[in-house]
Amino acid sequence: MIVIELDGVAKTFDGAIHALQDVSFFVPTGSICALLGHNGAGKTTAIKILSTLLQPTAGHAVVAGYDVVREPARVRASLGSIGQLAALDLELTGRENLVLFGRLRGLRRKHARLRADALIQQFDMSHAADRPVRNYSGGMRRRIDIAAGLVVLPKVLFLDEPTTGLDPRSRRDVWDLVSSLSTQGVTILLTTQYLEEADLLSDSIVVLNNGRIVANGTAEDLKRRVGLGYCSVSPVNPADLATVFAAVADLDGAEADYEANTVSVRSPDGVATLGEVFRRVDRLGVELADIALRKPSLDEAFLHLTGEVTTT
Amino acid sequence: MTALAALTERVMRVAMRDDLPFAVLSPPVSFLVFNFMLNNVIDTGGMSYPQYVLPVVIVQVIFLGALTTVDRAARDVRDDFGDRLRTLPISTVTPMIARMLYCLFRGTLGLLAAIAAGYVFGFRMFGGFGYAVAFAALTLTLTLALSLAADAAGVLAEVSRSKTASSGGLSQLLLVPQMLLVMLSTGMAPVDSFPDWLHPFVRNQPISQVTQTLRGFSAGHVVVSNLAASLAWCLGLLMVFGVIAVRVQRRTQ
Repeated sequence: MIVIELDGVAKTFDGAIHALQDVSFFVPTGSICALLGHNGAGKTTAIKILSTLLQPTAGHAVVAGYDVVREPARVRASLGSIGQLAALDLELTGRENLVLFGRLRGLRRKHARLRADALIQQFDMSHAADRPVRNYSGGMRRRIDIAAGLVVLPKVLFLDEPTTGLDPRSRRDVWDLVSSLSTQGVTILLTTQYLEEADLLSDSIVVLNNGRIVANGTAEDLKRRVGLGYCSVSPVNPADLATVFAAVADLDGAEADYEANTVSVRSPDGVATLGEVFRRVDRLGVELADIALRKPSLDEAFLHLTGEVTTT
Repeated sequence: MTALAALTERVMRVAMRDDLPFAVLSPPVSFLVFNFMLNNVIDTGGMSYPQYVLPVVIVQVIFLGALTTVDRAARDVRDDFGDRLRTLPISTVTPMIARMLYCLFRGTLGLLAAIAAGYVFGFRMFGGFGYAVAFAALTLTLTLALSLAADAAGVLAEVSRSKTASSGGLSQLLLVPQMLLVMLSTGMAPVDSFPDWLHPFVRNQPISQVTQTLRGFSAGHVVVSNLAASLAWCLGLLMVFGVIAVRVQRRTQ
């Protein structure tokens, strides 16, 4: 089943700024989709349209079976949305915020209190639950904020840059949480600038650049689109790098990176290229620190894909 | 219904910590200031000065109270908190209704505090229970009308924040017309103490009309034309600001 579907969605601000153009993709039930892009790529605009905060200029968007323009109330009833900043009442305590959002989602007072207690436990916030959110650190606000989006487990959860500004431990916690929600059947659309995050968490990735989709598929698909990988060689003594480079310079895409002390060669034939490089370098009698076949990182895939668009 | 109760409780909870003490204390304080400064200076005919001045003290408190709504309204539409409220399955106007319920509660407390202070210095509800109820009803109608106006102003200021001043600056700015209206009314002094050319304005402006009606309610007799003028002002403002406030709230969507 498809839970989120966009069909030719466009958003233009003030008649001139094209925040989104012809964006179409879908997310199946229970899966995690990452919207990947730089600042200003249109990620937040897409989330705002899907959470009924903005109306698309063109196209259709359906969330949990309801059109976001025609039935916004039903869309809202099925979604949880967690924005970039803590969407909390800073004057209330963490616990009071959770009870408030529980009741706003239709829980009775007693039930909302019990749910708040459970979330405080789950998010390890017992020590701070009764202090005003104003005095929380960024990581603590984030945790209560995410908890507030989960008071009633939504069918669809939007996470706008959920780990921006978090320390590595808190980031890991958010990742674990997102994965466990997904196994509970929650469909998740998250935005991120971190390729590692998209690679690790999501079942599918939609790459946005300047409001357009430049790629759409699994992390593996994207890497494959960019090329099969490359072979890299590092001599023990950096002084030997030029010699190594000279030996393989005629191979496809040969490059020397003096800072990283590495020579790399494109390897469309995989292991065959590795063997060829090894034979040539071995003849030189240079002592090697490392020789390996590498797949492109998602980072490289991303730069490649967005570069494709900006240069053409 | 649950949503309205939850949001009203939230406003109360937050206000309990900063706004409510001010709401209770400011009426007695401004009553004392007016009373001691002007008690023997202004000739109010047969009426004692506490009896004369208490209504304008109450109106003044209503104005200042309404201005506190500017900031609360702005806070509710601001940034991600506003976004979250708007993505919840509740009506767009529910947060505003919750803020208005708080304003009425605050107004009732202020009214009681003002009357209590007045009683210490000789103010009396001579008209009995019926007139006292009318006194409260008119006060709360004006409270609601002005709070709706302030609410709309706060939301508008926040929505167009990039272009205009902050809501804090706005509530400061709105103090000016409020002060002028109170000063240039018959609330503190009868119309004869103003220069002749100001008489038409002073006599007919809403604060003069409303304070005169409130004095009438406390004395137990009102002039019908004056009562009509006060009702027209209060209900008229209530309608106009009510429509504007709801429109503005919908526009945030």
